[in-house]
Amino acid sequence: MRINGTTTRRDLVRAGAAAGLAATVPAQARAQGARVDPLRVGVMTDLSGPFAGAGSQPLFWGAEVAIEMFNERGGVDGRQIQAVTADSQSRTETAINEAERLLGQERVEVVTGIYSSAHAVPLAQRFEQARKIMWITSAIATAVVKDKNFRYVFRPTVHSEQYGEGSVSMIHEHAQAKLGMPPERVKLAVIYEDGPYGTGVASAIEANAKSRNMPIVLKEAYSASAPDLSTLVTKLRRERPDVVLQVGYNPDITLFLRQAKSGGLRFRMMIGHGAGWSQIDRLSETFGADVNHFCNVDPAGTQMLDWTKLGPGVSDLAKAFVERFQAKHRLRDLPPHASMGFNNTWIFLNDVLAPAVRKTGGMAADALREAALAVDIPVGGTIQGYGVKFHPPGHPMAGQNERSIAVVMQFEDAKAKVIWPTAIAGGPPVLPLPPTHSFALRS
Amino acid sequence: MDPFLLEALLNGVLLGGVFALPVLGLNLVFGVVDVVWLCYAELVMVGMYAVWFLHVQMGWPLALAFVTCLPILAALGLLLHLLVVRPLLAAPPINQVLATGGVLFVLQGAATLVFSTDFRSLGVEMPPMELGEVFVSGTKLAAFVAALLGAAALWAFLKFTYVGTAIRAIARDREVMPLMGVDPKRIYLIASAVGGGLAGLAACLLVVQLDVHPFVGLSFGPITFMICVMGGLGNMLGGFLAAFLMGLIVSTGGFWWNTEMSYVVAFLFFILVIFLRPQGLFAR
Repeated sequence: MRINGTTTRRDLVRAGAAAGLAATVPAQARAQGARVDPLRVGVMTDLSGPFAGAGSQPLFWGAEVAIEMFNERGGVDGRQIQAVTADSQSRTETAINEAERLLGQERVEVVTGIYSSAHAVPLAQRFEQARKIMWITSAIATAVVKDKNFRYVFRPTVHSEQYGEGSVSMIHEHAQAKLGMPPERVKLAVIYEDGPYGTGVASAIEANAKSRNMPIVLKEAYSASAPDLSTLVTKLRRERPDVVLQVGYNPDITLFLRQAKSGGLRFRMMIGHGAGWSQIDRLSETFGADVNHFCNVDPAGTQMLDWTKLGPGVSDLAKAFVERFQAKHRLRDLPPHASMGFNNTWIFLNDVLAPAVRKTGGMAADALREAALAVDIPVGGTIQGYGVKFHPPGHPMAGQNERSIAVVMQFEDAKAKVIWPTAIAGGPPVLPLPPTHSFALRS
Repeated sequence: MDPFLLEALLNGVLLGGVFALPVLGLNLVFGVVDVVWLCYAELVMVGMYAVWFLHVQMGWPLALAFVTCLPILAALGLLLHLLVVRPLLAAPPINQVLATGGVLFVLQGAATLVFSTDFRSLGVEMPPMELGEVFVSGTKLAAFVAALLGAAALWAFLKFTYVGTAIRAIARDREVMPLMGVDPKRIYLIASAVGGGLAGLAACLLVVQLDVHPFVGLSFGPITFMICVMGGLGNMLGGFLAAFLMGLIVSTGGFWWNTEMSYVVAFLFFILVIFLRPQGLFAR
């Protein structure tokens, strides 16, 4: 918003993002822009506020690279993609206002992105009401779509129930061989941020543990902006869990780990569940070897996969993405959110937008919806390994990708490798934490 | 006594020490200048960035970075007073609150542009003290001791120096003191500088416990204001005691119920205080 010619903070961030995306359009295409209308796609992420540092920034960067590469490859028969960006500032009310701006003033037919489930829950209702497409590339709470029967909301990425299945299954599978105890004796503790994301994943962990008769000795929520978690650490020490499962953003994860260390908390394994836990670079920078061998559940970052097992052409796309992203942002290891931003945006551009434009000559929401429901990508057909087919209207999970896959990864020297599902694992997990680890149980 | 309950109580006391310093700074400024610095937590954030920048980026020894942070924040307090507060001294309180609230967003935005939204860590940690089953964080204990020393130094300054006496006198009666030869403009400047310096000290204590990012003020800013109101706005001793009370409520509430509920209990207690003693729990 511009008032009396002054530039607000939001303008600056928006202008920066728009400038970055505008620069991604090749000169030739910009010249053609005068003749051919661009295809305008809303991109909403959190470029400021706590969520930016917990994965939303690389999510945006990934989308940025996808649009850049798609445009370089000719767009849709020469029509370039023009991103209309919005910064939801890690605030639900801002996300709602920005969505209104994108739908009302910018008149876009689709908005991609959406990092936080807390934003996605109210936004999904609004998009459904407006009959415009909401293409979620990150927000994972199952509750966003479950039993809602949305027709205009699509989520190609994983959902929270899969996170609970991943972490609990991995421990269940390896308990006897690695921990020397039957799974029914492995004590779990679940701590989670109290938004839809944390609550959704924690419920999934609880349900999966219950179905496998694994005891949960503590299940406790906290606010992601809590200034102190030391009492939670004290309670964890009292309950002596073997495995601590955390669902958090940032800075709650770093606050917890710091206070856990100074509070003498020890365990056999720590498992994070995406968001802040997927910022491997930053966690390693802050905690060094202390986060070695910790696990995390999320869709796989493409660099963690064996590209030879991906479908034809997909490995080339993955390689091009990783090279481009690294050249622009120079991270030691790509966070999964970078792959999520790229992959899910690419799926939209290549497999939904392009067919819809070719079929109808435009990108009306109903044409996009029809194209989305027709997507049928087999497993191995995307750079994150999963396939894409959306549950149809009438299904309890309508709009959710039924072929999405969450993996369990383990950190080793600031890199992550897949350790579950075993079929695609890069090797067996290190379990329990080695005796020399700062958080390992004392013998 | 249950060692874990004892640990929770100790955690509460140490947490109170962390809350106490920003509460003292905010109360000092409000008591003297009669303006609420809504951006106080963001001043602390600037101080945290200053320490991080000097220590991690410039390679200065941590102690030197700490010592340098205090005059930087004192100068920032002065600037805030000169540029934002002084022109609005005669304005309605809502204008003053909106102006310092605007500074809050300016500081958050500036930090985002300069340092990005990345979380910065000092990478400093002290070994915990282990007393049987009870663990006490070395970092928190050191911060607690520093907070007590800071509070004691402030008390001595206000009690035993001429300027300190003038500050207290202005806080008690801003109409009469100018008639007795005290220059309120000068006292306002000094109080703002000391308030800024206390934000600097709070920054030194917090930067070893929390990651720095442009929005770190959201973690402790709201609770700091709540404590100030609970202890009585402008009442430094009241604020100091309320900080420990709040630390204990949060800590024991978390122990007996859960972490979420502890803040519900704290806010309910706050509402109760506002109803029963709107002038603050420890107001005379």
